[in-house]
Amino acid sequence: MIREVIHWLTHTPVNHLVMDYRWTWPTAESLHFCALALMVGTVGTFDLRLLGLGKGIAPATLHYSIRFGVAGFIVSVITGALFIFGQPDQYFYNNAFKVKVVCLLLLGLNVCAFYALEARQVLRLGPGDDAPPRAKAFAIISLTLLVAIMCAGRMLTFYRP
Amino acid sequence: MIDLLTFLENNELSVFIREWPSVFGFPTILFLHTLGLAMVAGVSIAVDLWILRGAPAGAPLHLLGLTRTMWLGFGINLVSGIALLLAYPAKALTNPVFYLKMALVLVAVYVAVRINREIAARGRKLHPAFAALPPSMAGGGEALTMAFDTRRWALVSLSLWGAATITGRLLAYTYNVLFAYELTP
Repeated sequence: MIREVIHWLTHTPVNHLVMDYRWTWPTAESLHFCALALMVGTVGTFDLRLLGLGKGIAPATLHYSIRFGVAGFIVSVITGALFIFGQPDQYFYNNAFKVKVVCLLLLGLNVCAFYALEARQVLRLGPGDDAPPRAKAFAIISLTLLVAIMCAGRMLTFYRP
Repeated sequence: MIDLLTFLENNELSVFIREWPSVFGFPTILFLHTLGLAMVAGVSIAVDLWILRGAPAGAPLHLLGLTRTMWLGFGINLVSGIALLLAYPAKALTNPVFYLKMALVLVAVYVAVRINREIAARGRKLHPAFAALPPSMAGGGEALTMAFDTRRWALVSLSLWGAATITGRLLAYTYNVLFAYELTP
């Protein structure tokens, strides 16, 4: 099954775009890292506020920047997909990539759970208010997963098959 | 120049960083450099976006708590960056893009310091209770408040961190030599 998928991916025009043009990969990597900084910066700053740093700022004020984090995430996914189309065998058989995907899925679940269970309460908090313990737990999970995603991303080269 | 590069890449620490076959060696240093980037550039970007949005007049001071995270990230980047440079000195020091990256980082840090001083000075002016803020965080005081347009600097800061990140990534694609012996005629 995986072999068929890899075969299909390596015969797509996207693979041709990534592998046959010298600057596609470096450009995608540069964008991937800029998007990562944008995502970690905006989401991470919001998480840190929930944990008590910059407590004088209302969480809703920092929440505004999350939209830029979402934009960063979308750019990361698109550029990440380009890498997979370019060298699928380097990713599908790579344990670091598997860890990264699992962490991304868990981060997505954490975001969904936060918005379903806690966001309304958190966004009503004013400057100086302490976030509820459950919101702090969501923030700790989010920060941990963001760091784990970065770590797994950097380890891709080390665990290359 | 070749002698210096040869000396640097042959010293024990350089060899250890470069050749230790453990996941806690070179790959971990690379990860720490990325983590530092996310902390320093990420928080700086979040602050810049907030300023560009039109941060409430008195509130920016509270951002100083968050910017400590940024400086911690800068420290991680500095230490991990020196380790990466020691591992492959010829690769970095013979690449013009490396000097461009360093210049961009230095200017970006200078701009971040100015923005921090500006928001601290403005906060002190609006909230006398914060007058006890350490001078290192409060910077030049009230005179600075009117000295420059913070929003313009936030835009400059965003551009600089973006450019520094891009040039950092391009180092892997623009180097001419990996080791000093390749420079020998």
